[in-house]
Amino acid sequence: MQKLDKQFIKKVRRQDRFATRAITVGGLLVIASVIAILVLIVRVTLPLFQPASAEVIHRVAVASGQPPVLAVGMDDTQEVGFTLNNTGLFSFYNLASGKTFFTAPASDRKAKVQSVESNKNNVFTLLWNDNSVTVAQVDFRLLYDEFGQRTVQPEITRMGEYPAQRYPAPIKSMMVRSHEDRLTQVALLADNRFQIDHAVVTTNILGEEKKETFSFLLNEELPGAITAFTLDENGYALFAGTDTGSLLRWDLRENERAERTDNVVAVSGDKPVTALAMVFGDISVAVGDADGGLVTWSQIWSGEGNDRVQRLRKTHTLTSHQTAVERIIPSRRSKSLVSLGADGKTHLDHMTSEKHLLDLEPSLTMAGISGQGNGLIGLDSRNNLTVWRVDAPHPEISLKTLFGKVWYESYDKPEYVWQSSSASDDFEPKFSLVPLLFGTIKGTLYAMIFAVPLAIFGAVYTSQFSTATFKKTVKPVVEIMASIPSVVIGFLIALWLAPIVEKAILGVILGVLFLPLIFVTIMAILKPFYKTPTLQNFCNGHEFLLLVPVILLAGALAMGIAPTVEHMLFGGNFKQWLYNDLGLRYDQRNCIIIAFGLGIAVIPIIFSITEDAISNIPPSLTAASLALGASRWQTIWRVVLPSASPGIFAAIMIGFGRAVGETMIVLMATGNTPILDWSIFNGMRTLSANIAVEIPEAPMGGTLYRVLFLCASMLFALTFVVNTGAELVRERLRKKYGRY
Amino acid sequence: MTKKFWRQGEPFVWATGLALSLILFLTLLLFYVVLANGLAVFWPKKVALATLQDGRSLLGEIVQEETIPHNEKKRLQFKIGNRDLYGLDFKWVDASEITSLTYPKDVHVLERQEYGNFYGYLSEFEVKGIAPPVSGSNSLAQTIGALEDRKVEVHLLGKKIANLNRRVELIDHHLAKARYNKEENTPALAAMQGEKQGLKTEFEALVSILGEKSAALATNQAIFTDANGQPKAIALPNIVRAYQPNNMSFFAKCAYYLERLRELFFDEPRESNTEGGLFPAIFGTVMLIFLMSILSFPLGVLAGIYLREYAKDGWLVKMVRIAVNNLAGIPSIVYGIFGLGFFVYGIGGGIDQLFFPERLPTPTFGTGGILWTSLTLGLLTVPVVIVATEEALGSIPPGIREGSQALAATKLQTLTRILLPMASPGILTGFILAMARAAGEVAPLMITGVVKLAPALPLDGVFPFLHLDRKFMHLGFHIYDIGFQSPNVEAAKPMVYVTTLLLILIVLAMTSTAIYLRNKMRQRHSVVDV
Repeated sequence: MQKLDKQFIKKVRRQDRFATRAITVGGLLVIASVIAILVLIVRVTLPLFQPASAEVIHRVAVASGQPPVLAVGMDDTQEVGFTLNNTGLFSFYNLASGKTFFTAPASDRKAKVQSVESNKNNVFTLLWNDNSVTVAQVDFRLLYDEFGQRTVQPEITRMGEYPAQRYPAPIKSMMVRSHEDRLTQVALLADNRFQIDHAVVTTNILGEEKKETFSFLLNEELPGAITAFTLDENGYALFAGTDTGSLLRWDLRENERAERTDNVVAVSGDKPVTALAMVFGDISVAVGDADGGLVTWSQIWSGEGNDRVQRLRKTHTLTSHQTAVERIIPSRRSKSLVSLGADGKTHLDHMTSEKHLLDLEPSLTMAGISGQGNGLIGLDSRNNLTVWRVDAPHPEISLKTLFGKVWYESYDKPEYVWQSSSASDDFEPKFSLVPLLFGTIKGTLYAMIFAVPLAIFGAVYTSQFSTATFKKTVKPVVEIMASIPSVVIGFLIALWLAPIVEKAILGVILGVLFLPLIFVTIMAILKPFYKTPTLQNFCNGHEFLLLVPVILLAGALAMGIAPTVEHMLFGGNFKQWLYNDLGLRYDQRNCIIIAFGLGIAVIPIIFSITEDAISNIPPSLTAASLALGASRWQTIWRVVLPSASPGIFAAIMIGFGRAVGETMIVLMATGNTPILDWSIFNGMRTLSANIAVEIPEAPMGGTLYRVLFLCASMLFALTFVVNTGAELVRERLRKKYGRY
Repeated sequence: MTKKFWRQGEPFVWATGLALSLILFLTLLLFYVVLANGLAVFWPKKVALATLQDGRSLLGEIVQEETIPHNEKKRLQFKIGNRDLYGLDFKWVDASEITSLTYPKDVHVLERQEYGNFYGYLSEFEVKGIAPPVSGSNSLAQTIGALEDRKVEVHLLGKKIANLNRRVELIDHHLAKARYNKEENTPALAAMQGEKQGLKTEFEALVSILGEKSAALATNQAIFTDANGQPKAIALPNIVRAYQPNNMSFFAKCAYYLERLRELFFDEPRESNTEGGLFPAIFGTVMLIFLMSILSFPLGVLAGIYLREYAKDGWLVKMVRIAVNNLAGIPSIVYGIFGLGFFVYGIGGGIDQLFFPERLPTPTFGTGGILWTSLTLGLLTVPVVIVATEEALGSIPPGIREGSQALAATKLQTLTRILLPMASPGILTGFILAMARAAGEVAPLMITGVVKLAPALPLDGVFPFLHLDRKFMHLGFHIYDIGFQSPNVEAAKPMVYVTTLLLILIVLAMTSTAIYLRNKMRQRHSVVDV
C-alpha cells in the first residue's frame, strides 16, 4: 500500500479550508444581495414620505432708513434677491455677499407707490398714488463667461405705462393681466366698486391693427366691503372676498360686461376674507380669513351641454394659522402655497395633498418664491432678507393622496384617480393607487375563478383516477405548459382570442352555461350503463377522453344557437343590449380575455402543486377508506382532499402570487385604463402593467418614478407574504406526512 | 342503484375528468393556433383575381372568409398589397359582388424593400448595362439575378461607410475625453484630428460613390400592371423576392419556403420589423441568455451548495431557504424596476460619472443595455438555480456523503468528486429551466435595455468587440413590439405568429430537455435508494 504523501494531505486540507471559506462567503453574499433587492426598492420610495425641510442659506440686512419695502423676490438660481420699495425702485442684492449691485426704477415717475401686485412671471403692477399705473417685468439672464462661470444679470423691462385714468372714486388697488391681445385692468375703488378696463387689439384681414377700449363699472349690490381680490393669469375671472366672509366671482371673458357667477360664503361667522390668490393652474383660488383659516375653492364645471357652467366649490382645507392670513403666495411650479399670518408665521402647504409642509421662523412681513418653487425669500420685521432653500421634492404625495379619495381640480367630487402626466405644465398629477390595486385584484380574481376549479379538479383526476402511464405523460405536458412565455399567451389572447370572443360573446357565455347542462345530461344518460363491464373497462382512467366530445358539443351548440338567442332575447345585438339595458360597455380587451390568459398562465402552477400535495397523501389512508366501503369519490372528498387541503391552499396562494405579478399578459390584453368597475366586460390597469407602461416616461428621482417603485414594493410585499405563507403551509404538510 | 350513482359521487369523478379534458383541450388549442398560423406564413399562397360586378377587378391573397352578422351574407378578405397604389393592404369584399374568381398563372408577387407586397402582371423591362432579358416565364428572376453582383457591391459599400462612421465616432469620443481632461495641442491629439480628417474625406468619397451606384442601379426597372391595368414602375433593386405562386410546383414552393426560413434566421428585419428576418432578435436573445448564464449559474450553484452542504441547519437557514424559494415567485417586473434603479441608474450612472464624464449628459452605461438586462435576468434566475442545486444535492442519500468521508475524503473532495457529479443532471435541469425562463421573460427587459430596432449587434468586429453598453433586440419583445406597437397590426400578424412559433419552440425544446434530464436522474437515484 502506498503511503499518503504528507505534502498532498496538507494541500488537500488547505484547499478544503479555502473552499469552505469561499463557499460560505460566496453563498452568504448571494443570499444577502438577493435580499438587498427589497431594501433597495423600498429605499427609493422612502423620500416620498420624508417631511419637507428648509434651510436658511442667506441672510442679508437691508439698509435701514430706506423707504418701506412693498415686495421681495428672487431668481431661480437663488443667487440674487430683490426688493421693491414704495418709490418704485428695484434693488438687487447679491445674496452671497449681501451687497446691492444693481438698482433700477420701475418708472421715471416721481410719486409714491400705493400698491403692488405681481403675477407668476414676475410681472409687477405698480399703482401710484396719482392713479397712474406702471407694469414692469423683472427678468434674470444667465451669462456664462469663457471659463463657464455663471453670473446672473437682472433686467427690468418696462411693459407699460398707463396714465391716470378717470375713475369715479380713488383707487385702493389695481391688477393688470394680459392674454392674447387683450389687456385687462381691474381697479378696486374706495367706494367698494370695481372698474374694469379692457384694451383689445384686433387685426383684420389686411393686417391692420385696431385698438379698442372697453371700460365699465361693476355697479352691483355686494354682500359686504371688498377686502381682497385677485384675477387669473388670463384676466378671465375676477375673484373678490368681502368683510362678511363672502367669496364672489365674475366672468370677465366678454369685453363689454362682467357676469357675476358665484356668491358663496367662504368664511363662516361673518368673518372677513383677508387674502386671496390663484393657485398655479388658475382653476382654484386660495382663500385666507381673519381667523387664520386657509381653504381652496375650485371652479368646477357642472350641468350638461350648453348649460354647463363653472361654479365655485370648496375643495381643500389647509392647516390654519393662529391669526389672520395676511398674504398668500402661490408657487409657480406646483400646487403649493406660501401663506403669511398676521403674527408673521409662514406656512408652506400643498393644496392637493393638504399636506402642511413647513413652518418658517422668524416672522416675516413679506415673502417671495423662486421660479422653481424650491427657494423662498422673506423680509422680516427687522429688515433682514432671509433666503431658504426649500426641500420638498414630493409635496403632492401623502398616504391620503395614494390611498384616499381626493378632490382634484375640475372633478365634481372627491375620487380615486390615477393620471400621472398630461401635456400641460400646470397639470395636477393624480397618484391614487386604489384603481391600480383594484385592477390587480379584479384581474386576479376573475382569473382565479376560472383557473382554480379547473386546475384542482384536473389534478385530482390525474393523481387519483387516471392510469399510471397517463399520469406520466400529463405531468410533463402541464410542466411544459407552465413554461410558455407570458408574452406568447398575451399575444394570442389579445390578437387572436379577443376578436373572436368579441364577435361571439353571447356564444361564449352560452357555452359556459351549456357545458354543465350537457355534462349533467350525459351523466343521466350514462347512469344505467355505468356498471356494465365494457364501459367500466374502457372508462377507468379514461373518462376524460369520453368527455372531449361533450366540450365540443357544448361549444358547437352554443355557437349554433347564439344568433337565434341574440335575435330573440336581445334584439339582435347583445352588446347594444348590454349597453342600453344594463349600462355596461363592452370592450374588446376585457376581463373574460384576461381571466382566460392569466388562467392559462396559472393553471399549470396550481395543477402541479396540487397534484404533488394529493400524491403525497399516504396510500394507506386511501386504501383504508376504500376498504371500509367508501366509493372512490367519497374517499377523495372525505379523506384525500381534507388531508391535502393545506397543500391545495398553498397551490392557490402561489397561483395567486403569479397572477398578481403577471405583467405582459395584462399589458397586452387589457386597455390599461385605470377604472374602478367590477364589470367583466371591460378592462383594468394593474400595478405591474402600470409600472411597465409608465416607467419609460418617469424621470429618475421624480415623483412618478418613486411612486412606481412604491407600486413595485407593494407587489413585492404582496407576493412575498403570499408565497411565504404558502411555503410555510407546505413545510408543515411535508412534516406531517413525510415524504412518501 | 340510480340513487347510488349520484350518492357515490360517480358524476363528480367525471366532472374532474371534464376539468382535465378542458385543460388539455385549451393547451392543445393554443399550440394548434400557433402552429397553424406560424407554419403557414411562409408557404406561398395562391393569388386570386376577383372580377367584381362593377367591372373592376382585384388581385390578392384570400386571407379569410366570414359571414356578416345579421344578414347571413358571406364576405372575403383579400390581401391586396400595393400599398403605394391603394393606401391599404387589406380589403373586404362581399361574396355576392364577385362575378368570377380565377387564379391566373402569370401573376407576379413582389416582396419589396418598402410598401409591402406588390401583386400584378409584368409588362416590360427598362434595364441598362446588363443583357436585355429573354422573354419567358422566369425572365424577371433572371434579370434580378443579373443585378445581384451590383447589389452586393452597393451593400458592401454601405457596410464600409457604417464602419467608417463608427471609427469616426470612436475618435470623437477620444477627442471629447482629451478636451475634458484639458489636454491641448498634444501630438497624439493632432494625429487623431488628422486621422479623423482622413476618415472624413474617405467617408465623403464613399458616400458619393454609393449615391452614384445606387442611383445607377435604381434606373433598372420593370413596369408592372395591377389588376385593373394601372402601370407601376418598380426599381429592380427594390425587389427583395419575386415569385409566381399560381405557377409553382410543390417543390418550387418548398424551395421558396426554405428560402424564407433562411431569411428568417439570417437576415435583418425590414419595414419596421414586420418583414424580413429575425437575425438580430435571435442573436440578442441568445447573447442575453449566454451572459445571464455566466452571471447567474456560478453564483446560484455556490449559494445552493452553501445552503445544503455548508450552512449549519438552523432557523436562519430555514428562513433563508424559504426566502430564496419565494424570490422565484416575485413578479419579474419587480426585478425589472430594481434593475433600472440599481443597475442602470445606480451602477451605470456611477460608471458614467467615473469613466465617461466627458460624454455626459449623454449616458454611456447609465442607460439600458445588454449588461444590465443580463444582470437583472441573472438575479431573476438565481433563485431557480439555487433551488435546483439544493434539491439535486438534497436528493443524494446521506450515506454517500458519510461513505466518502469515512474513506478520509475532505468535504471539498466529497463535493467535487462525488456529490457534484451525482447532482449534475439536477443542476443542469435548473440551468435549462433558468435559461428557458430568461428566453421567455419580456417585462424586465423592456425597462432595462431592449429596443425595437438596435442599430448594431452587441458583438461585432469593432474594438472592443463585445459592447455591453449597447441596447439589443429580443424575440419576446419583438412579439410585443410588432404585435402591439406597430402601425399596421394586421399586416404584421404573420410575422408575430412566426416569432411566437420560434420563441415557443426554443422554450419548449429547453424545457423538454430539462424534464427529460430530471426524469432520468430520478430513475438513477431511485436505484440508489434501494
